[in-house]
Amino acid sequence: MSPETQRKIEALFPRYPEKRGALLPAIYLVQAEKGYVGPQDARALAELFGLEPVDVWEVLTFYNMFYTSAQGRHHVYVCTNLPCSLRGARTLLKELESHLGIRCGQTTPDGRVTLAHEECLGSCGTAPVMRVDGEYVENLDLSEAKRVVDSLE
Amino acid sequence: MITQPYITNYLSEHYADDAYRELSGYEARGGFEGLRKAVQMEPADLVELVKSSGLRGRGGAGFSTGLKWSFMPSGNDRPKLFVCNADESEPGSFKDRLIMERGPHQMLEGILIGAWAVGASKTYIYIRGEYKVPTRRVEQAVKELYERGYLGQKILGKKGFDHDIVVHSGAGAYICGEETGLLESLEGKKGQPRKKPPFPAQYGAFGLPTTVNNVETFAHVPFIVARGLDWFLAIGTEKSPGTTLFGVSGQVERPGLFELPLGTPLGEIIDHAGGVRGGRALKGVIPGGMSMPILLPEDLDVRMAEEFLSERGTHLGTGGIMVMDETTCMVRVAAVTSYFFRDESCGQCTQCREGTGWIHKICERVEAGRGSPADLELLDDLPGLMEGQTICAFADAAAWPIQGLLRHFRADFEAHIAAQRCPFPESFEL
Amino acid sequence: MPTLTIDGTEYEVAEGRMILQAIDDLGLLMSGVDIPHYCWHPKLSIDGSCRMCQVEVEGMPKLQIACNTLVTDGMVVRTDVERVKKAQRGVMELLLINHPLDCPICDQAGECTLQDYAFDYGMPGARTEEPRRPAKKAMDLGPTIVFDQERCILCRRCVRFCREIPKTGELGVFARGDHSLLELFPGTELDNPYSMNVADICPVGALTTKDFRFKIRVWFLDDVESICNQCSNGCNIYASRSNNRIYRYLPRRNDSVNDTWICDHGRLSYQLIMENRLTEPRVSRRGTSYADAVRAAGDAVRAARESGGSIVGVASPFVGNEDLFVLKQLLEAVGAPAATFAVPRGESDELLVKTEKAPNASGARALGFEESDASPGAVAVALVLGHTLAEECLKGVETLILLDTENCSLAERADIVLPARSFAEKEGSFTNHAKRVQRFRPILEPTFEALSEGEILQRIGAAAGLTGWTASYDVHEVSKRLSETVAGFDGINLDSLDDQGCELA
Repeated sequence: MSPETQRKIEALFPRYPEKRGALLPAIYLVQAEKGYVGPQDARALAELFGLEPVDVWEVLTFYNMFYTSAQGRHHVYVCTNLPCSLRGARTLLKELESHLGIRCGQTTPDGRVTLAHEECLGSCGTAPVMRVDGEYVENLDLSEAKRVVDSLE
Repeated sequence: MITQPYITNYLSEHYADDAYRELSGYEARGGFEGLRKAVQMEPADLVELVKSSGLRGRGGAGFSTGLKWSFMPSGNDRPKLFVCNADESEPGSFKDRLIMERGPHQMLEGILIGAWAVGASKTYIYIRGEYKVPTRRVEQAVKELYERGYLGQKILGKKGFDHDIVVHSGAGAYICGEETGLLESLEGKKGQPRKKPPFPAQYGAFGLPTTVNNVETFAHVPFIVARGLDWFLAIGTEKSPGTTLFGVSGQVERPGLFELPLGTPLGEIIDHAGGVRGGRALKGVIPGGMSMPILLPEDLDVRMAEEFLSERGTHLGTGGIMVMDETTCMVRVAAVTSYFFRDESCGQCTQCREGTGWIHKICERVEAGRGSPADLELLDDLPGLMEGQTICAFADAAAWPIQGLLRHFRADFEAHIAAQRCPFPESFEL
Repeated sequence: MPTLTIDGTEYEVAEGRMILQAIDDLGLLMSGVDIPHYCWHPKLSIDGSCRMCQVEVEGMPKLQIACNTLVTDGMVVRTDVERVKKAQRGVMELLLINHPLDCPICDQAGECTLQDYAFDYGMPGARTEEPRRPAKKAMDLGPTIVFDQERCILCRRCVRFCREIPKTGELGVFARGDHSLLELFPGTELDNPYSMNVADICPVGALTTKDFRFKIRVWFLDDVESICNQCSNGCNIYASRSNNRIYRYLPRRNDSVNDTWICDHGRLSYQLIMENRLTEPRVSRRGTSYADAVRAAGDAVRAARESGGSIVGVASPFVGNEDLFVLKQLLEAVGAPAATFAVPRGESDELLVKTEKAPNASGARALGFEESDASPGAVAVALVLGHTLAEECLKGVETLILLDTENCSLAERADIVLPARSFAEKEGSFTNHAKRVQRFRPILEPTFEALSEGEILQRIGAAAGLTGWTASYDVHEVSKRLSETVAGFDGINLDSLDDQGCELA
């Protein structure tokens, strides 16, 4: 954890009656540094928050948006919940798998893209949808999905 | 990205207008009239007004908003909190996102009116982590409110009316939409719902008295205060007044949002969405987000309000309508649904943790053609082992759709077992 | 006091208690009032997640969990109705779908709550055909505990224990849903002075101690109520024995002393009982018969009395109140001053472990002995119990009579040596740091000739020809006399003490 990140985290403490309230935002800040939060980072967070490392690890592993190991440079998450599936999301995911040559949940060997599926993203009116590096790409079709994925460096 | 519903009403009237996202544009279109009126009222009268309005929570449970507010303790010995539940995660629901993206000040004004009513000094807006754009918009709107004195100390010059808003991001867990799961998550913990009692109004976030309301619920409040009871009660049904943002998704021509009075017939809403895609026949429709039991084509006449839907064995939920056409394999629907609940169970209660997993495994096996009649008996039985027996309603939400699918589409399951494969070649892919 | 009716029987319970607590307070939980439970533990925070303790409460539409339902006056609860039984069957079935069916090779068999409840509350067969969830087997959690992750039912008792009792918080439940797993933080161990308690509170065979696992099937064991002798806290224990051997100590609940816990050091101290035992009576450093050694000691005492030589006693904080009382009487009979005793000291903590590393220093004080590690100086005869006093303090003793359990260096120097029984081989009581008198019972038969210190002293007194002293010894009689004679012990004797002990007046 950089001193800069630590300062940012400490600045969040007054927002909550107990500083633990700032744990989720703090994890986001640490994760922004290197893409995941490993055991050493969890220890540092625990120390900063006056928690046991295991408390931080429980939180980290509970939420889908936190990672405890390195991910690809780009995240491509396809929603496969019912509204998207009804509009072909799973077919699209399978084709992205073969396009990238990896299975859902894997990262391309060059570390470029991690492909995964996700539960409902709240974009059912513009299904299917995928989330690429945090941004929604809606009303997808296969060619658009491939174009977006190929544009990732 | 949706900028406005296909059909608008009072909530979404100005959503297409980018200026409405900004405070000045919002004020120019009647914004903050409600709050100005509210602070002229005694807080208790304001709670009474919202109670009398019959406004029901739009987050899924449909509880009376005014009644919920009245549970907050009076007196100021402990700070009181509001939490705005913007963790919209119910599959089929995408309305809160639109409100935050296109009309964030409606929600914020509703929060401030509520804060005056119950004496809350702070609001945490818990927005699901995936909602980056809505989060940015709400943060921007909050910033404007501070700049213009709608937040901070002595709001609208009113002594003793101090309020702060903190925008807080979730991190990807459906269960944080459950109000006590949300409170745990807000406290920096796993989002595992709390056993009740104590209830949030006594012991909520950080142990403080807390009221949790949904985004859309807050958004209706300014209109009720500004335009009055008579106006509001004339919209919707007697027991469910007002409009809601119905979301229609799945196999329709024109998926999207439709702001219509509660009580609008289901078939009419689907017609607004252009009907079933490709002129196909309807097979089933989930009326209120994935947790709610499915309805049949003959149910299209049902009026979309809790009092009518509960007569058909289902619920309004979040008003997220999912439409499935005649090609749909309902065992696949069961597999997708049960996977979701398995994946999102917080894992603390035995029945939910183990039951969701078991149901999913059975559904997948039956879909893959490896099921037996005994599996159907199990699927009949397992939801009963889960329902009503756990800390929160998640297990019920996981049980109901399976019960609904078996009630109405048992033949689909039986056909898989008889054929030892999926007999719906044109269905959506699993 | 509120009344609570369960299945037609009315109970008066304490104010402000949950149903399960209230029944536990009365000592009836699972022994009179059966409300099965997994995650609830009387000494841990309420979790409310296993859902096994659901009961029907009159006036409430849904079943309620007894662990988190506050008793209100007049509350009517039913456990004997079909929907409660159905709920219990449901929980059992769901807990078992992912639990390995490996009871024949599981060390918990015989004391497994899952196994027991499966018989009492479960269904006769399994309906699942899905493969069980695979997880880690025989995982080393640290120096004391082995973990079978497949058997874990996620009741989180161990998690709460580590957080709430030693406050070390090593364990957590990671991920969520049916892939939730009990784990340690990566790269750490479960290593705290109370770690082995997690095996006691684990309702299944997930957490077992390295010390006990696979040593013996529990149905070959019987449990004897005793007291840990490693410090002055006097934690209540069961000693599990078989074939005249102790296999383990388990903490025995005493809310005034140790709740339901024991420290790891105390738990493993059963191993010390047979270590380096003094087995051979000696006179003048040569082995002899027990009777000869007793006679020699009696002669020495008699000779000292006749020649006007001084006699002193050195007491021990390791022997029972009854042993100490006989010493006190003997010294009074020969006109000797009250004995002193020394106490070994060490580290303490905020939970159970006390500074005084002996079980009965308080008892010695209560009997009028004074703590001192000073030398008695030049004396004719010293009657020495144990070896807590430094050897050089006893240099000036002409005839040193030693009663001890351990083959210590003092035994090499002593003139008369009499092997004593350890607390595990005799009956008696200790008085803990808080002046609670607690009973220990014989666990083992001595494998060599040895007597309790009280009985040895009784025989020495008789051999020395003290007026009214016979060689016959009954610890219960001694205890009765003690309670009649010594202030504070009024009414407290081995026959009056129950399994929770009693505080001195």
